[in-house]
Amino acid sequence: MQILAAAAPLWRTIDQPVALKGLVAIVGLLLIAWQLWWFLGRHGGGVAARQSEAGLQEITILVDGGYAPSRIKVKAGQPMRLAFHRVDPSSCLAQVIFPDFHKSLDLPLDATTSLELPPTKAGVYPFHCGMNMVRGVLEVE
Amino acid sequence: MSARSPGPAEGPAVLVDGMERELARERTLLRRKVSVAAVLTVLVMGSSLPHMLGLHSLPLLPFWFTSPWTQLILTTPVLFWCGRDFFTGAVSAFRQHFADMNTLVAAGTGIAYLTSLFTTLFPQVLIAEGLPADVYYETVAVILTLVLLGRLLEARARGQTSEAIRRLLQLQPPSARVLRDGQPVEVPVSMVVVGDLVQVRPGEKIPVDGEVSEGSSWVEESMLTGEPTPVAKAAGDAVIGASMNRSGSFTFRVSRVGADTVLAQIVELVRQAQSSRTQVQRLADQVVGWFVPVVIALAIAAFVVWFLISGNPVLAMLFLVSVLVIACPCALGLATPTSIMVASGKGAENGLIFRSAEALETAGKLRTIVLDKTGTLTRGQPEVTDFERLAGGVLPADTLLALTAALESRSEHPLAEAITTYARSQLKDSELPAVEDFEAVAGRGVQGAIGGQQVRVGTPRWFDELGINTASLKPLVERLEVAARSVAVVVVDGRLEGCFGVADPLKSSSAAAVAGLRRLGLHVVMLSGDARRTAEVVAAQVGIERVIAEVRPADKASVIRKLQEQGEGPVAMVGDGINDSPALAQADVGIAMGTGTDVAIAASDITLISGNLAGVPAAIELSRAAMANIRQNLFFAFAYNVAGIPIAAGLLFPLTGWLLNPMIAGAAMAFSSVSVVSNALRLRNFRPARLPLPTT
Repeated sequence: MQILAAAAPLWRTIDQPVALKGLVAIVGLLLIAWQLWWFLGRHGGGVAARQSEAGLQEITILVDGGYAPSRIKVKAGQPMRLAFHRVDPSSCLAQVIFPDFHKSLDLPLDATTSLELPPTKAGVYPFHCGMNMVRGVLEVE
Repeated sequence: MSARSPGPAEGPAVLVDGMERELARERTLLRRKVSVAAVLTVLVMGSSLPHMLGLHSLPLLPFWFTSPWTQLILTTPVLFWCGRDFFTGAVSAFRQHFADMNTLVAAGTGIAYLTSLFTTLFPQVLIAEGLPADVYYETVAVILTLVLLGRLLEARARGQTSEAIRRLLQLQPPSARVLRDGQPVEVPVSMVVVGDLVQVRPGEKIPVDGEVSEGSSWVEESMLTGEPTPVAKAAGDAVIGASMNRSGSFTFRVSRVGADTVLAQIVELVRQAQSSRTQVQRLADQVVGWFVPVVIALAIAAFVVWFLISGNPVLAMLFLVSVLVIACPCALGLATPTSIMVASGKGAENGLIFRSAEALETAGKLRTIVLDKTGTLTRGQPEVTDFERLAGGVLPADTLLALTAALESRSEHPLAEAITTYARSQLKDSELPAVEDFEAVAGRGVQGAIGGQQVRVGTPRWFDELGINTASLKPLVERLEVAARSVAVVVVDGRLEGCFGVADPLKSSSAAAVAGLRRLGLHVVMLSGDARRTAEVVAAQVGIERVIAEVRPADKASVIRKLQEQGEGPVAMVGDGINDSPALAQADVGIAMGTGTDVAIAASDITLISGNLAGVPAAIELSRAAMANIRQNLFFAFAYNVAGIPIAAGLLFPLTGWLLNPMIAGAAMAFSSVSVVSNALRLRNFRPARLPLPTT
């Protein structure tokens, strides 16, 4: 196995046209800038929960390869009910965990399971599947 | 709260079983994926062997076997079937503007795969440039297999922690012998309802929670409380479902079934703790959110710089993939949850229930621990040891006892119960006079009117405050208090009539537990509503130097707050969970001494299912072990990545000619996952320092 491979055949300097080098540099820098913006920049969006009678905020989340919507906006200081409808058979999604609320919820396949959460202070509360592969965010504002 | 929460007839077992099956299925699938990936990877490595050795062919291997096309066919299922979850996870995270370990794994292996695919399809492009038409399928396969292996280990760790829960659930017997119309009938446990009478024979398990109505026995509760010694049960005593009846037969009235039972509550609490996260974990999650985009930026930068230096796209691509793969923080994601899961499972095994990961985290940092006296250090079953009529009293002993018993029987204070019991045992006539205008004065005593006389029973301090001259009492009170007795004085129409000395014996475990806490370097404080002298005597008996006495129940929380403000925190409060609940909530860590049947479990951060104080040092030890474990894990998780990045980016290349093969980067990363998981599993060997403790 080439653990620390000697330079031999692979290490070879190739004279590339300056234009190509310039292009690679520019594309590379743009790519860096874009991905930093994409991952770290501020992005709006998110779906607001609807108000039901009795002051409960309700939203239904489709569990299919991910959470749709995955960014949920709710108001602070009001109880909420999140209904998860799971159609994805992947067992990773069989459980959804709200670590800040110490809640985990088992989601049977092809069924809707609800989780009621108490009124909460403003903040960002992530949730994720049992294996921490698929994520969503509860934005309380 | 789940809308689907089990009804009274349906135990938690049903839900957990379903979940268990699904998790087991997940593990089976994952194991299959790892096996398939491993077999294919070995084949791909065999196929690339001649190339690695720098040979054109090996004598024993047919030509077709070493072809890039064979490697492509072998690697494709590894990527698209075994490694599918990484790609779906990465896409899901990407859509949410989030980058995690899946992003790095998917990007690293995806790029290596696409480059190799290009080389396989158009080798002449590279050859024309004078570059070797090398493929990196074995890199893709090895990385995916190793990361999958890490994932399988994680799933196994989860399985082992939920094992603790399953073992708890299996404790419940499937059926119960219920008396229906006086006849014993065997019915499934799910059919038992509150109020049923259930018979238990020697050697049988008690099916649900209840109260003994007839018969007596010794019951082993070790599976729930961690207490090794059987507990005596007689009429009126509470029994816990799933505990084991040893010698006698008895009948009990069912008080709780299904999700309300102690067993079900314990299971629920353990599950809650396992789905919470620590402050450390929160931080780690935030770090990952930043770390991954920065790593991607570095990887692209490495590509660009190496392309500019060498003009060699293959070399530049190798640096890119190496950086992506070695930086993968998947071990970081494992670092805290695995330790927390193992530790809370271990706690449950020892009768220590942590309500959250934070409780586990904070318990290790405690500096001060406040122990409530009654019920925590003592048995909480006080008995009258002294009764004296006072000089100046005019009532005959019988009358005095009857008045006292009448008044005290209205109070729920443990001392009052002791006095009532004593007085009744001394009286021939069981009829007590009627009390009017009864009033309990918290932390002071009780008062009421009986047959036109005003009767008060309470602390000497109360009567001082009321302006009654208690000077003549002083020597007696002092004598009693020095003997660790609580003193209650009876005053009728302003006359000092009688005096009771009440002793609440220490639990045999208390002194050893206090010593254990001091050995752990904790500052131990005793909190008591008793007179200072009494409290100090008790404290001295168990080895506590600092006493806060004469505290009314309502003031306990403010005592804790004061300690916190004085910078003695984090402060833990240990109490019996019911009247101490404000103090338990105020404390950084509230520790409730469950007597096994207390529903007040929920009010605390840590519950000791047994009433054994030795659980407190054990919980703190476990917490410290867990936090040390997490710190080691974070080191394992981060050290490889951070140290590996410069090497992977090729910083050492100009100096040493060293170039990190992406495959080695993958191995280093997998090794960090393996270190983390195996380190966390070490916690399973945790044993609290054994204290020589009989039960109390």
